[in-house]
Formats: sequence, C-alpha cells, structure tokens
Amino acid sequence: MVLTSQRPSWRHFVPAVLAIAVITVAYRDWLHVTNATIVALTYLLVVLLVAASSHLWVAVLTSCLAMAAFNFFFLPPVGTLTIADPQNWVALIAFLTVSLVASRLSALAQDRQHEASARRDELARLFDLSRDILLSTDSKEALPLLARFIARRFELDYAAICLPHGTAWNIFNAGSDDLKLDESQLTLAFDSAQRSLEFDAQTRTYTGHRTVVIGAWEVRLVPLRLGTKPLGLLAAAGRAVEAGTLDALAGVVAIAIERAQFLEERKGAELARQSEELKSALLASLAHDLRTPLTAIRVAASNLQGTWLTDDQRREQSELVLAEVERLTRLFQNILEMARIDAGAILAEQQWVHPSEIVEAAEALVEHALRGHPIEVQVDGQELVRLDPRLTASALAHLLENAAQYSYAGAPVAVRCQTIGSELFITVRDHGAGISAGDLPKLFERFYRGSGSKGRVSGTGMGLSIARGLLAAEHGRVSAENCVDGGALFTIVVPVQIKASNAEGVAR
Amino acid sequence: MTRAARILLVDDEASIQRAVAPLLRSRGYEVETVGSGSDALRVASERPPDLVVLDLGLPDLDGVEVCRRIRKVSTVPIIVLSARSNEVDKVAALDLGADDYVTKPFSPEELLARIRVALRRVFTGDEPEVGRLSVADLTIDFDRRRVTRADEEIRLTPKEFELLALFAHNPDRVLTHRTILKAIWGANAVDNPEHLWVLVGQLRKKIEPDPIHPQYLLSEPWVGYRLVTEPLTTP
Repeated sequence: MVLTSQRPSWRHFVPAVLAIAVITVAYRDWLHVTNATIVALTYLLVVLLVAASSHLWVAVLTSCLAMAAFNFFFLPPVGTLTIADPQNWVALIAFLTVSLVASRLSALAQDRQHEASARRDELARLFDLSRDILLSTDSKEALPLLARFIARRFELDYAAICLPHGTAWNIFNAGSDDLKLDESQLTLAFDSAQRSLEFDAQTRTYTGHRTVVIGAWEVRLVPLRLGTKPLGLLAAAGRAVEAGTLDALAGVVAIAIERAQFLEERKGAELARQSEELKSALLASLAHDLRTPLTAIRVAASNLQGTWLTDDQRREQSELVLAEVERLTRLFQNILEMARIDAGAILAEQQWVHPSEIVEAAEALVEHALRGHPIEVQVDGQELVRLDPRLTASALAHLLENAAQYSYAGAPVAVRCQTIGSELFITVRDHGAGISAGDLPKLFERFYRGSGSKGRVSGTGMGLSIARGLLAAEHGRVSAENCVDGGALFTIVVPVQIKASNAEGVAR
Repeated sequence: MTRAARILLVDDEASIQRAVAPLLRSRGYEVETVGSGSDALRVASERPPDLVVLDLGLPDLDGVEVCRRIRKVSTVPIIVLSARSNEVDKVAALDLGADDYVTKPFSPEELLARIRVALRRVFTGDEPEVGRLSVADLTIDFDRRRVTRADEEIRLTPKEFELLALFAHNPDRVLTHRTILKAIWGANAVDNPEHLWVLVGQLRKKIEPDPIHPQYLLSEPWVGYRLVTEPLTTP
C-alpha cells in the first residue's frame, strides 16, 4: 500500500485507464461477451482495486471512465452514449453509485491508515524525546538541551522553551532558524493560558494555543502545563505538527522542566549536606587534633618557666614543645592543602626530575613522622620524568606518613619507583596490620579513618584524601591494597613524559 | 600528709604524659602513667592510687567505662580530662562518680588546683553526718537544721536546707544536675531540671552576699553546680 502525503500524481491514473481499455477490448472483440452484468462487475473490480490502492479522485475518474465505456460499448444502442432500455439506466446508475461509494470507503480507510501512521510517528517522536529527557542528568544544561531535543525529534525548523522570569522571559532557542520572539506576545499568550483551561473536545486541545507570525514563519505558541498549572510556553515553527501532539509535547516538556528543577534542587541539597558533613567532620577532627598538642605545649611551656627542672628535663620539655608545634604545623598544612584542593587552586607545574628526587623531597617533608621507621628506597631505571615534582612529593609524603603511623614500631617502609609505559608508578609498602576489607572502598574519602585506627593512631583522616586530591590535579591516581604476606601497599600512578637522563639531568 | 600522694595518670597521648607527669612530680606527687583503660584498671587494683587523672578518649576502653569500673571497687577521687567534643561523656563520667573535670587544653594551675581540692577530701576524711559543718562563712547545724552566718540565722525552707546540706557534704566537688535532682527530688525528677534552677536561685538569694554574682554556689555550665569553700586563685 502506498503511503505518501504528497499530491497524487497522474501515474496512478494510467494503469486504471489501461485496465479499462484491456477489459473493453477483450470482452467486445475477443471474447464477445455481451452480458451487461458480467461486464459491469469486471469494471467494478477495476474501480475497487484502484480505490484501494490510490486516491479518491483517481477512483472517481476511473468510475466515470468505466461508466462511459460500459455505456458506449456494451449498453444498447452500442456505439452511442445514449441508452434505449430504461432498465439499463438503472444498471448504469447502480454501477456508478456502487463504484463511487466503494471509492469513498476505500479512501476513508486509507485516510485512517495515514492518520494512524502519522500518530504513530508523532508518538514515536514523543517517546524518543522522553527518553532523551530521562537520559539527560545534567540539570544545568537541561533546558537548552531540551529545546534542541524537541527541534531534532520533531524535525522543527525552530523550537523554543520560554519560561517567565518576573516580567521578562528566559528563552531557550533551538533549531536551524534563529527567531526573535516578541516578549509581549509571549506574555499575552501566557496570560490567556493562565486564565482559561477549557478542554476543546473537538480538537482535543486545551485553549491557549496561539499562532504568531514572525517574518516568514508561523510560530505556534503552546502553554507548558504541569497538571493545570502553566509553567511557560513552547514555541514551534516549521513542520506542521498536530495540535493534540503539540499539547502532548508540551506536557512532556513541562515534566522535563519540573524534573530539571528537581534535579537542581536535589543537587543543591546534596551539596549542602555534604558540605555540612564536611564541616562537622572538620570541626570534630580539629577539636580532637588541636587539643592534644595545645595541652601538651601549654603544660610543657609552663614547666619550662619553673625553676625545678633539671637540664635533662628542660631539654625533654623543649623537645616536646617543638614536636607538638611540628604536629600543629603539619595539621595546618593539611587544612591549607585541603582548602586549596577544594578551591581548585592547585595547578600542576611540570618539570624534568629524576624519581629519586621526589622520594627524597617526600621524606624531608615528613621527616618527623618517619622517625624510627627506616625507609628502603628502590628506583628502577635512570630515566628522567616530566611531572609536577612538588605535588607528587607532597602526595607521596602523605602516604609515607600514613605508612609510618600504621606500621609496628621500627618496621621499615619500602618505596619503589618505576616507569611503565608513559606512567610513573610509586609504591609504598608498610608492615602494619593492613587495611580491613570494609575500609578499602572508603580509604581515600575525606576524614575517613580506618575502623581499627580510631583512638589507637592519632590522625586526622585528611592525609590520604589530600594525596588523592593533589594527584588528581596532575591527572594521577592512587590506590591501596593488602599484600599477601601482610601490610598495606599504596600505589601512586602519574602520567609522565620520559627521557633518558644525561649527566646534566641528574646533577643536583 | 605523711607520704606523697600517688597519682595515676591515664592518657594515651605520649605528649600529654611527657608534659603532665613531670609537672605533677615537681609538686611532690608520685606519678604513674598508663596509656590504656585496661592498664589503668589493672594498676588501680594492684597499687591503688590516691587519685586518678583520667582522659576520656582512650583507645581500648571508653573512659566512662573505666570510671564506672574503678568506682565499683574504690572511692578514689577521679578527675576527668575532657575535650569540648565529648561533653556528654564528661557528664556521664561525673554522674558515674567522677569527682571533677578539666577541659583540654587546660592550664597547669587549673589541673593542680583540682587535684589539691580532691586530695584534701581524701586526707581530711569525710565529715560526720551529724553535728556542725562550716563552709566558707556559713555554719550548718545538721542536728537543728539551722544555718547561720556570723551568728545571724538564715531561714531556709526544708528543700533549700537539703540542697545546701548536699553541697556541704561534697564541698568543692562538681555535682551534676542529675545527681542533685535525684538526691533531692528522687529518681523521677531527673528530667525536670527547672525544679533545680528555681531552688538554686532561692538558695543563692539567701546565702550569697551578691546573688547575681555568686561566690559560693557556682554554676558549671551544662554540667551542674559546685560549692566552693575557698576561692580558686592561682597560687
């Protein structure tokens, strides 16, 4: 079956004329059939076939032609368009009526088919649009994206989502043609949509549809309704879309807008909650980590003022003050680094270094915490690598500090550097209790402290999260695992450029 | 005091031990330091100290739990070291029988003063239930339920007298709201602190020279009250 919405062409008429000619010639000259009923039924067959496969006007023309041929060649007096027997008038009129009615019925059926297929088509577009909407999760870009989806799915030359914003309008345009919508027209349309709600059963639409002419375009304005409440307007121009479809489309768009707003709100609430959690975690952590060094410093400093101290005690007390000040400094640095990571203020500055320099720099950073833990360094290869040495060393320092804190007293910490492909791998292996399975997924989260560590090991839960943040700034990453023979293994991976070292390159 | 008082210092932070222990020793106390709750309990039973300084944030046992277990077997004074973040634990420890608390970071003098007050109670022994008791310039006659200041009688209602007597039996010691409510009104009253606020206000009007700026009956914010027998000045 031919399903086109184009104007019918003469091509449909040609086979009909041919068929009638063939039947006429065959019955009159070859088969000598003179029974008017047989001839009429055969013509009717042709008309029905034409009506079923073509347009109404082709079928009507075919009917008329068949009637003329029937009259001229078969109804006596043969050879004229006059009819002698009044009974044959009845036959002729019956023939014409049947063929016209059949044509009309067939055309109606075809129209239904067309309409159904058009509906199916629009429905498919709506469905595709809904899927586009559901798949988009970025609430910020949602509205411009939505306008683009509408224009694309409905093959519109222009589509726009217009949302009232006080007295002005936020307009999200999409489509090949960029039209300038008149805001006063929008306000007018929106006001009428707000006033009336009646559903027009005839056209199956709500009131509030308007057509405005902008340049060469007829732009249709459809209220976006969520339930009965209008949120804004949908403007569409280009391909003709049925009013009912436009209403359905507007409904989907309204839901999408609501969803985008909901996503935005949820994101905001989530961010607020996270920042609230971070704040309270930071406060708890600070309270815990500040009070001990502060108390120790306060008491030790006042001890130092006393006259009762022996020289040894005096040295011991001042060492204590220095150590606790060191601890506070480290805490302060951590908070500062964390704030810089949060603010996105960390920029990688790449330069050529030898991996061993990074390890040395890291050791120097946390010298105090490493006391009592020998560091065994193994650097494979002599290549120079290009990365940000300060970020990498700082991240490594956090891992070293962590390893020392969670190792048994005096246990060595092994550091190994190697380049694989275009990546630098730095592993830190400790001889502690390892990481419990439950802690592994959350290990690098801020303020997360291993379930076994609370109270036993002093720490802020900041170090590993800072290490991850610093590495991320240079597109690196860090991971943790347990070794088969005990202890934890942390791996830093940083993408680097590599070149063979020369004498100047390694000179320090 | 014929011998040096023995103090058991319980704190898992080595730096606190290293700073506080010499301080206490310099004031003539004998000090033993432990870093965990289980060690504290062991030492407390093997070599009973005269006073325990107990940090609430211990690695193994909850400080509150340590406090409870020590209190079960001994009346040794316990001074709790707490931080702002474990206010709830502090009150719980005091409810369970800790004598006093010092909030970190504390000044050395503050800690020493609390220790002196707590030890004085141990070495002077509990006052008899009957007879007379002098607190600051007040004299409390338990037998006749009379309170006088410089021979001038202060008339107290029975409840006010009960409250003053409770404080007088625990001089210089923090009594939590809960402890006081339970002692005066019974266990059912612990959720009605407003009784206490009113009663303390009435008592202050009668015994304090300046009720707006109390000298004797001091509030410990969010914790309870303390009857001070001598002003806590830095020596």
